[in-house]
Amino acid sequence: MKRIFQHPSEPQGGKKYWRSLEELASTPGFAAALEREFPQGAAEFNGGEVSRRHFMKIMGASTALAGIGLTGCRRPEMHLVPFTHSAEWSIPGKFLFYTSSRPTPRGYVPLIVSTYEGRPTKIEGNPYHPINEGHGGTDIYTQASVLNMYDPDRARAFRQKGSISDESTFEKALDGLIAAYAGTQGDGLAIMMEENASPTRERLRAAVTAKLPKARWCIYEPLAGGSTGAAEFIGFGQGVKARPQLDKADVVLTLDCDFLGSDGNIEMIRGFTKKRRVDAPGEKMNRLYSVENRYTITGGMADHRLRIPASQVGAFALQLAEQIATATGDATLSGVGQTLGKANGTVNFPAGWAEELAKDLVANKGRAVVLVGSQQPVAVHLLGMAINAALGAFGTTLTGIATVSAPASSIGDLTKDINNKAVTTLIILGCNPVYDAPVDLDWRTAQSNVPNVIRVGLHEDETAELSSWNVPRAHYLEYWGDGRSADGTYVAVQPMILPLYGGWSDNDILAKLAGLQKPVGPELVQDTFRQIAGGAATDFDAAWNKFLHDGYLDGSATATERTLFFMSAAAGSAIGEQMNLTALKEGSYEIVFTPDFHTYDGRYNNNGWLQEVPDPVTKLTWDNAALISPATAKALGVQNYEAAGDTIEITVGKSGISLPILIAPGHADHSISVSLGYGRWKTGRVGTGAGENVYPLRTTTAPYFLVADKVTPTGDRGTLAITQHHFSMEGRAFVREGTLDTFAENPSFAKVMGLDEELPKAGNPSLYTHPPLTALEQWGMTIDLNTCTGCNACVVACQAENNSPIVGKEQVINGREMHWMRLDRYFASTDVSTDDSDPDPEMLFEPLLCQQCEFAPCETVCPVNATVHTPDGLNSMAYNRCIGTRYCANNCPYKVRRFNFFDYNQRPITPVTEGIGPLKITASGLHFGPLTEKSSPDTIKMQKNPNVTVRMRGVMEKCTFCVQRIEEARIATKVKAGASDKIKIPVDSFQSACQQACPNEAIAFGDITEPESKVSKMRGSPRGYRLLEYLNTSPRVVYLAKLRNPNPKMPGAEKLAAFEREDKKGGASPMTNGEGDASGGPK
Amino acid sequence: MANFFPRWTNWLPLKVLVILFVLGNAVVAGVWYYFTPKYTRVGYQPVQPVPFSHEIHAGQLGMDCRYCHSFVEVSYHSNVPNTQVCMNCHSQIQKDNPKLEAVRESWKTGQPVTWIQLHKTPDYAYYNHSVHVNRGVSCVSCHGQVNHMAVVYHDQPLSMSWCLDCHRHPENALRPREDVYNLDWKPSDVNAKAFVAKYGKPPGEEDRDFSKDDVKLTQQEIGLTLKHAWYVNPPENCAGCHR
Repeated sequence: MKRIFQHPSEPQGGKKYWRSLEELASTPGFAAALEREFPQGAAEFNGGEVSRRHFMKIMGASTALAGIGLTGCRRPEMHLVPFTHSAEWSIPGKFLFYTSSRPTPRGYVPLIVSTYEGRPTKIEGNPYHPINEGHGGTDIYTQASVLNMYDPDRARAFRQKGSISDESTFEKALDGLIAAYAGTQGDGLAIMMEENASPTRERLRAAVTAKLPKARWCIYEPLAGGSTGAAEFIGFGQGVKARPQLDKADVVLTLDCDFLGSDGNIEMIRGFTKKRRVDAPGEKMNRLYSVENRYTITGGMADHRLRIPASQVGAFALQLAEQIATATGDATLSGVGQTLGKANGTVNFPAGWAEELAKDLVANKGRAVVLVGSQQPVAVHLLGMAINAALGAFGTTLTGIATVSAPASSIGDLTKDINNKAVTTLIILGCNPVYDAPVDLDWRTAQSNVPNVIRVGLHEDETAELSSWNVPRAHYLEYWGDGRSADGTYVAVQPMILPLYGGWSDNDILAKLAGLQKPVGPELVQDTFRQIAGGAATDFDAAWNKFLHDGYLDGSATATERTLFFMSAAAGSAIGEQMNLTALKEGSYEIVFTPDFHTYDGRYNNNGWLQEVPDPVTKLTWDNAALISPATAKALGVQNYEAAGDTIEITVGKSGISLPILIAPGHADHSISVSLGYGRWKTGRVGTGAGENVYPLRTTTAPYFLVADKVTPTGDRGTLAITQHHFSMEGRAFVREGTLDTFAENPSFAKVMGLDEELPKAGNPSLYTHPPLTALEQWGMTIDLNTCTGCNACVVACQAENNSPIVGKEQVINGREMHWMRLDRYFASTDVSTDDSDPDPEMLFEPLLCQQCEFAPCETVCPVNATVHTPDGLNSMAYNRCIGTRYCANNCPYKVRRFNFFDYNQRPITPVTEGIGPLKITASGLHFGPLTEKSSPDTIKMQKNPNVTVRMRGVMEKCTFCVQRIEEARIATKVKAGASDKIKIPVDSFQSACQQACPNEAIAFGDITEPESKVSKMRGSPRGYRLLEYLNTSPRVVYLAKLRNPNPKMPGAEKLAAFEREDKKGGASPMTNGEGDASGGPK
Repeated sequence: MANFFPRWTNWLPLKVLVILFVLGNAVVAGVWYYFTPKYTRVGYQPVQPVPFSHEIHAGQLGMDCRYCHSFVEVSYHSNVPNTQVCMNCHSQIQKDNPKLEAVRESWKTGQPVTWIQLHKTPDYAYYNHSVHVNRGVSCVSCHGQVNHMAVVYHDQPLSMSWCLDCHRHPENALRPREDVYNLDWKPSDVNAKAFVAKYGKPPGEEDRDFSKDDVKLTQQEIGLTLKHAWYVNPPENCAGCHR
């Protein structure tokens, strides 16, 4: 009989932590899921639409007919192929690192790229760049961008009207074009580009304009904040962009601004968490207020959060502005309040919220800042600026940088010109307007009416279908370029590899248009560098080499003087016109369009890593859904099921879409959040068929939210691959939090939560013998929950570093995802008595990976010694020894082991049709195993980390603490030691992949025996605790409890992170307390 | 009717079966044990596209291993030289030797010479050359006396147990660093007096007098001394080689 260990029940303090609504309500389904090692079905053969018997029948016949060869018995002849000429710097077997940067609509992200034998394999932040201050953080998109380059579905050929052409024909066509438009000075030529802060691109644009002054320029981004730019233009004048300095802010208010996620950049994230690092009791920490309609990771970090529909954020801002105007006596702000004061009162917000918030902001004048989200209209941005001006934010917490791009027309203006037949040739550099342009523009028709459309794109996508020329576009790892990072510093973009498919960069096209040659090297960028570096570049070669080596030009951050806020008459009237102050009527629903966590605006749709990384809040993968609050779900009569949700139809004007709902705790009522970027109809193998397209609801007038005409349940269900139940650990005080005051009064509060107080003081003995931990270094990790924002960069970084495969939606539903690291998302409620749901729970994150237990339960049950302990404290995994019994996963209390149920690395996860003659089966390629072709494209293999084994089917795997990096460091130390005994690895000389990717330095990894190491210093924090300490596994990972910094005067402050010890309440000790069976110990 | 078969024949089929079973197993086990090599790659000697002789280059001419295998001290791989390295000399020496046709062809066309890989560890074993040669393990320990091979062959098994033998007893392979690339080195070549002065006396032989000229050191003594002096502790856990 299997003994079932009954964990002692969790002491019920003031607070309940839960991960899903089912868990909160303790449904039988959830209880059953808890008992299982893997979710129901994970360990069974689910052929989807194919029965096992049918499959065996056809495939048996197929194998018999194919015959059995014995060709596999010969030793394969392998070859060694050296270069003919030595390549500079290249050493076979060694990584070579280059600085570079990644273009994003919000500035360039400074990077260091690892290349291996000429292939880029991994991307890290550049720690030397000024915004990084010694630790280079990244985000999920940057981490996954290397996979975009190797995307096997990239555009590979020059195509003219659909048929294959070549580069020279295209170049001739381009030359002909320039000659043709020289006569009209470029009239009739239009160029559409992405938002991009590249000085070289801007310089080339000026050169083209000089030659073809009447050419039209359009800069188009579907999501990256048109209203932010418009408001900055009104508020600051031309050429200045706001740059929040959150490392100087003690109080931050976000009005629908997810600055830790889609609305921010690395500088803001790092600045914010810098003020959130608390080492000793009594230290100060910043305070974050968040006003938003749906839970974002920023909302999760917030100390106080107000959930209101996105359309009412403006009304709230106005109410707040009045309070602040009164308190500060700021004339401009009170002027704005007076013009709009009458409209106030139609919307009710929780009593006291705006009042207390205003008091706190005013009390921290000069140290406070208000951030407005890019989804909000211009009026709210202007109001935010006025509030910031009144709070003295300008020059301290809010400065400015110069923008790079000259003004350009919007996609709306361009469409008008096209419809007026003013455009005869349209060059589209990258954008995909056929898919994502606002629906009222009818861009599809407009583009079809342009006689000549040249599209330079990474993929042959929706826009490419309607273009006369398709040109492959170079990825940023393939061309020479430059840009400005978030602080305005000039950074380099270096090619790591020649364009895989002969792609052209934007600069190449613009250079041709300007009458220059297509550059072969960095010459164009060098010209720009000469201008920018100016006198500093007297010795050009030395300056240029230093620039490439460092990745940035020192002291090139653009001036921050022009930060004054001009409250012009235009700004005042803009606020008045656009402010929406009406409450939503009962029964009407607001639709909010949000950037998608996985695909952003649709551009990362074909990236498997991004598709499969769970959304931090909803834990949804491979799909988008309509997020609604539990109350709204009740009102609509819809619900979620195991891996599915009821479908609703949303109608706006003539357009309607239907997509499954997902009940999201903490969502505003009467509001439905739908993410853009899914439902692409022409994309690659990964993105095809994923999600619903929401763009048809989106118009120029209401780009981010609108009130739906009708929302009705359709009666259907849609499947959703949600990972929130997977690898659940039965709510045992895993995630611990307290307030800053609790920490000051009772520094070791986290050590007495759960059952930790009941542990024997002398420590538990282990019943097994364990190998001695004799190595000079002992590896450990510390994770600070207080600075972890839940951004998931670590998860994608781990996947990139450790060659983890993607498994596909069907496999995720079966609970077979392969991420070694996961971010558990918890909700916390104080009051759940009424109807098993809390409208306003707190949200917390906890990264979970192998805890590298010193007394590891997995090791004792492995029948073949495939998982054993090393002398430096790693719980190592020898893949080639594993026979796949899965006992270890069964015995792991942290549920961190992952099993290769299929050959995810070699077999297609997409449907495949196999069979003989009329007997055919179509099923996921995984199920065919060796009976279908190995289909991992060569380009995907090129990305793999050469120092990590690519695991095959039937093998268990888990986090190794990046053992390849440990061994690399150890070997480097020993090589350096040579004929000496100095073989101790220098302190903090390397990082684990998750640690390196984390922008917040929330993860520290290193030698715990070395008192000076980062990890040892963090481990010493009184907030430290270990998971499931009472199981005596002695984990090597220490968590530091989360802290909140509530404003005691705010409504609901007492509920926040409420910490109360059970024994203080006068109850009995939790070990003996509890209902009946919770006596603890094995039965 | 009388019995056709005597009584003893009742057990005959069973006895025959048992004897056949035992004999069959003995034959299989015997062939397995006595007729198959310990490791099938030993002796592997493929014909290379260029008949390059290590015997001439490393043996007769006395070229250092590192002239061609230039990254052995810094990288995982001990690289195969690129065509440029061959042409450093052969653009002047033996310019018209027909044996070098493939090299000249490669130099002209830019297409590499495809050498046949001889030594191979499995994909899941991450062997690193640099750490071995820098810590006193000679090429000869794994590759044999390549300087006496006209055509290189696989000399040692390179199996896991063979690796572990050495990782458990590194003293059997360690030598002074300056002799790592001296493939003809013998322990008796070592001047005991100078060696002891540099690295100390072998552990356990602190009382012995090494000052006389005729004192010879054994491999064991040299290895143990170096192991002690350099704190050599090769990994014996899985993660040392498998990731």
